[in-house]
Amino acid sequence: MRSACASLIFLILVLLEGTSLSFAQTSQERAREIIDRVDRMLRGDSSAGRVTMTVATRQWKRTTELRIWSEGTDKVLIRVEAPKKDQGTATLRVGDNIWNYLPKIDRVIRIPTSMMMASWMGSHFTNDDLVKESRLIRDYDVWIDFEGPRDGVEVYEFRLTPRPEAPVVWGKIEYQVRKADLMPTWAKFYGEDGELKRTATFSEYEEMDGRLIPTRMRMSPEDKPGEFTEMKYEELEFDLEIDEGVFSLKSLRGS
Amino acid sequence: MIIVRLGWRNLWRNSRRSLITIAGIAFAFASLIALIGVARGLVVQLLRNGTELMVGHIQIHDRDYLPDRDLYETLGNLEGHDWAGLIEQLKHNPQVVAVSPRVYGVGLLSTGEQTAAVQIIGIEPRLESELSRVIDRDVLARLTPGSLLLGTTLALEIRAKEGDEVAAVAQASDGTLGNDLFQVAGVVQTGVAYLDRSLAFARLEDLQQLLALDSNRIHEIALRVQDPLAAAEISKEISQIAGLPSEATVQSWRELLPQLSEYLEVAGAANAVIIGLVAIFATFGILNTMMMATFERIREIGMLTAFGMRPSSVTLTILVEALFLALLGLAAGFVFGAIIMRYLTVYGLDLTRWTGQLTMLQTRIDPVVKGVWNWNAVISAAITLCLVTVVAAYLPARKAVRVEPVEALRAPVMQ
Repeated sequence: MRSACASLIFLILVLLEGTSLSFAQTSQERAREIIDRVDRMLRGDSSAGRVTMTVATRQWKRTTELRIWSEGTDKVLIRVEAPKKDQGTATLRVGDNIWNYLPKIDRVIRIPTSMMMASWMGSHFTNDDLVKESRLIRDYDVWIDFEGPRDGVEVYEFRLTPRPEAPVVWGKIEYQVRKADLMPTWAKFYGEDGELKRTATFSEYEEMDGRLIPTRMRMSPEDKPGEFTEMKYEELEFDLEIDEGVFSLKSLRGS
Repeated sequence: MIIVRLGWRNLWRNSRRSLITIAGIAFAFASLIALIGVARGLVVQLLRNGTELMVGHIQIHDRDYLPDRDLYETLGNLEGHDWAGLIEQLKHNPQVVAVSPRVYGVGLLSTGEQTAAVQIIGIEPRLESELSRVIDRDVLARLTPGSLLLGTTLALEIRAKEGDEVAAVAQASDGTLGNDLFQVAGVVQTGVAYLDRSLAFARLEDLQQLLALDSNRIHEIALRVQDPLAAAEISKEISQIAGLPSEATVQSWRELLPQLSEYLEVAGAANAVIIGLVAIFATFGILNTMMMATFERIREIGMLTAFGMRPSSVTLTILVEALFLALLGLAAGFVFGAIIMRYLTVYGLDLTRWTGQLTMLQTRIDPVVKGVWNWNAVISAAITLCLVTVVAAYLPARKAVRVEPVEALRAPVMQ
């Protein structure tokens, strides 16, 4: 969740600086190039925004207001603004580390590796999603699976397969991007056994701070029909100066 | 009647021979009693070790709770259930010794620098101490409101010691991130690696609050019964109780711990083989003694036939005599066996000499095996030995009465 926009679309693929393309095959090279462009557009160098997150499970449905700051490829701060009960609860990600701040008990807790696959703030995202989202292009090989019209719209469809020994949880990711404006439309995540595990769908493409982005993203787990987590961008600014101190444990506490 | 009297008198005509036979039967029976007692003791021991640490003999859950331990699948589902009333009802069953309600939560425990993932178990300390041996009674009693008991490895991992404050964070049932501060009331060593690594006990109501569960929502009721080997039947009985919530399942340890169940079956079969072998050896010993004893009396039997006693009566006399021998032997053997069993039930066999401390199937093994009476097996052993004795007498007796009296009288006197 480096940029607020990329945190909206956790799965956007980043072409890390200095990634060598010399070994890549031409089709892979092209695929990476497109995905890199999509990511740059959605991510920016830094971002700050306001998001409404709606989580619906079989037992309950809740909406929280979040404020998100991001910088570069590995710094994100997310703070809950509403409802009152959760106000001040915050998550900081720097590199591979994630800390949660809990205002009720006034404690900062680092998420241990064993809990990376656990839910983040009760949503259908895991803590791991927060970290791995930035690494997709480092951990996966990218292929263009399909290029052409789908329902009258010209699209690219990418297939991402994990590189050998990459520490990943997905066996395969499929990802569709509109050709005309490079807007993502959906992404499908498959387990190691090839079974579809969850689907992300993007919609409501709007301009924010001069950039077109999908302002709504919904993640639906396959094994829990009817459940979803939806993130809706209310406001988003790109490429602003963010004080270094924002991504610190002190700022996580809200002080 | 005369035959019975004759048989009895015959018995003491050669008292040394009779006593040797009786001693043989007694020794065989006493060994079998002790062996059966130890075998059953071992099974009961394994069962106790496997169940009484935490699991109990019977558990009640919502149908969908296991195997995932889904937070929402409490007894009576989202509405909850009057579990206190159910527990009262369960206690009325004379077989039920202890009943303990439990809530389970998955979360994080943190001292600040160190954080670990744990399973927190919410319990009623008093009820739990009646049921499980995982933590000593007086340690459990220290579990006051707002406190936690931690396993040793876990406490080490998060660097918490008694009196420290730890933060607990868990996904609550209303979608929020439940969080509370607890004081470490004690650090416990169970001797079972996985429990020491992940064990955290809190009071039932504290955990319910952390997980945003209403006070009538619990995940599990565990029971301990008098006879764990009868747990399957008792759980069937319990599943008929009216106070049970709908969609509840009652399972005995046989279903809850299939590994243990299988292991006990294997152990039981191995014991049966050993007991069977000893029984066969004992049988041959008795067969041998009885045959010798009857063969050496061919002259005597010939005499009786010569006097005009009907062959069938002669056979019957010998059989009655053998029956007396068997009964006396069994009685003596029982007394002797009971003395050994008395020792075994009180002191038991200490296996530490050979094994040291043991854990098996993730349970702590008590190294002292105590004898347990298995009456069914003892009675079948008695019947078997009795039959063997009589049959062993019958074969030579039948042969003896067929011998011509003149031939028989020529047989050497062996006294």
